[in-house]
Amino acid sequence: MSIAQTGPAVALPQRRRRRRGLSRDTMLGGGTIIAFILVWEAVYRLGLMPTWAFPSPWKVVLAFAELIEDGRLLENTGASVLRQLCGVVLAAVAGIPVGLVLGASSTIRAALLPLFRLIYPIPGIAWIPLAILWFGIGFKSTVFVIFFSGIWSVIFNTMTGVQTLSGQYTDVARVYGASRWLYTRRVLIPGSLPFIITGLRLTYGVGWRVIVGAEMISSITGLGFLIDDARWQLRPDVMICGMITIAMIGWVSENWFFDWVERRTVERWGMKTSNA
Amino acid sequence: MLRVEGLHKRYVTDEAEVTALTDIRLDIADGEFVSLLGPSGCGKSTLLKIMAGLIPASSGSMAIQGKEVRGPGPERAMVFQDYALFPWMTVLDNVGFGLEARGVGKAKRTGTAMELLHAVGLQEFAGRFPHHLSGGMKQRVSIARAFAVDPAILLMDEPFGALDAQTRQGLQDELLRIWTARRKTVVFVTHSIEEAIYLSDRIVVMTARPGRIKTIITLPEPRPRDMATSEMSARQREVRAVLGEEISRAAALEQADMMAAG
Repeated sequence: MSIAQTGPAVALPQRRRRRRGLSRDTMLGGGTIIAFILVWEAVYRLGLMPTWAFPSPWKVVLAFAELIEDGRLLENTGASVLRQLCGVVLAAVAGIPVGLVLGASSTIRAALLPLFRLIYPIPGIAWIPLAILWFGIGFKSTVFVIFFSGIWSVIFNTMTGVQTLSGQYTDVARVYGASRWLYTRRVLIPGSLPFIITGLRLTYGVGWRVIVGAEMISSITGLGFLIDDARWQLRPDVMICGMITIAMIGWVSENWFFDWVERRTVERWGMKTSNA
Repeated sequence: MLRVEGLHKRYVTDEAEVTALTDIRLDIADGEFVSLLGPSGCGKSTLLKIMAGLIPASSGSMAIQGKEVRGPGPERAMVFQDYALFPWMTVLDNVGFGLEARGVGKAKRTGTAMELLHAVGLQEFAGRFPHHLSGGMKQRVSIARAFAVDPAILLMDEPFGALDAQTRQGLQDELLRIWTARRKTVVFVTHSIEEAIYLSDRIVVMTARPGRIKTIITLPEPRPRDMATSEMSARQREVRAVLGEEISRAAALEQADMMAAG
């Protein structure tokens, strides 16, 4: 007979514990946001700032309604999100393989890292003029800037993931004679995934922060353009609408999308260590 | 037959050259269960890894069925002390990994893997991920993975070292059961005298660093062995006496190292 019952009973992960009602932390966080809006309103009412440059919260809400109604919000948001996605996907497609190779080979590391370390600190914004010369105003130059500012975190994180992967997994692959391709696909990539996801998270964040600057200079659509264009019309309420939209989309995608990916992968595999 | 001849292993570190193994000669017959027993740091795990082809020997040779081998080969499989299961694969995929590496199709892979999960009593856990399993269950999965590729030689590196005593006993019996049914050659590294006596046809006792073969003890007693009999107790005393001096020598060496390092 087998001895299947010697181990302790296997407990199911207790993640599906969703709290009813508002938790203390939610109340605290929400309270601070409400307080912030109240201070904003107070500054407006007390006339501490010139009203032509400092709209009330309510004026921003009205501007939101206006922008939704005439379709400008959707159009410009769509343009920005599309550029962002293209830039991030390109950075992932190019950066993950480069990171894998860098992590696996000390020779290639020695050859490429000095150059990468030199280029890496150049802010994405600094590439914009050159990007405009190369690709003209618009879609391509913005995507290029997002790609170029974001690819480094994918590369460096993927590399670290490969380097910190337990040598024992490699031993298993060697003992059973796995081909290089199978090893890459089934061991190296999933084994480095916690780091790859962290890298992509950073790439996404950097891209979303760079896109506004890029669009202000090199574009006639997008949320950056919306904000910059509002300056000429003296519409600070529209500017703030653009800023809030950026914040919301950034928040949703960074927390919601990447958390979802993590739940489906590294958390399910029990590989997530910290990040409470 | 697995034959190791005149095998040496030296490590070169920044400070010094360390001899891990000296002049290892060993013949292991097909279907034999051999334990490598020795104090910690005697190089028994190193020897096993050389047998697996994971690290090269400095000199000497190893042959399987008269053919010299270097590097890993399909006739050998290995079970690691801390299981080395892939956390991102289900239990079923982990067991099937060796077959996947050999290009076996998915249907056949699943069939073989399920059969082995049955053999170790874990068929219910096929779709789970390893982190849901206890240590003992993980090691059973690891054993199933090794048997799945139907190797002639099974190399086991202190496979039960990290388990509690009860789980350990259960797994020893289970290993013997599968071994009896499938008759593989097993090379089993352990530092437990009792475990070595309970399982092995022969025990290879190794010396403290540099690792040499001190003596080989043959155990003709039939299995299952009752460790409580006076006969087996005598065996334990015998092995303990041989190993005892090596353990104290290893401790002295370790202390000298610490003094030098400090």
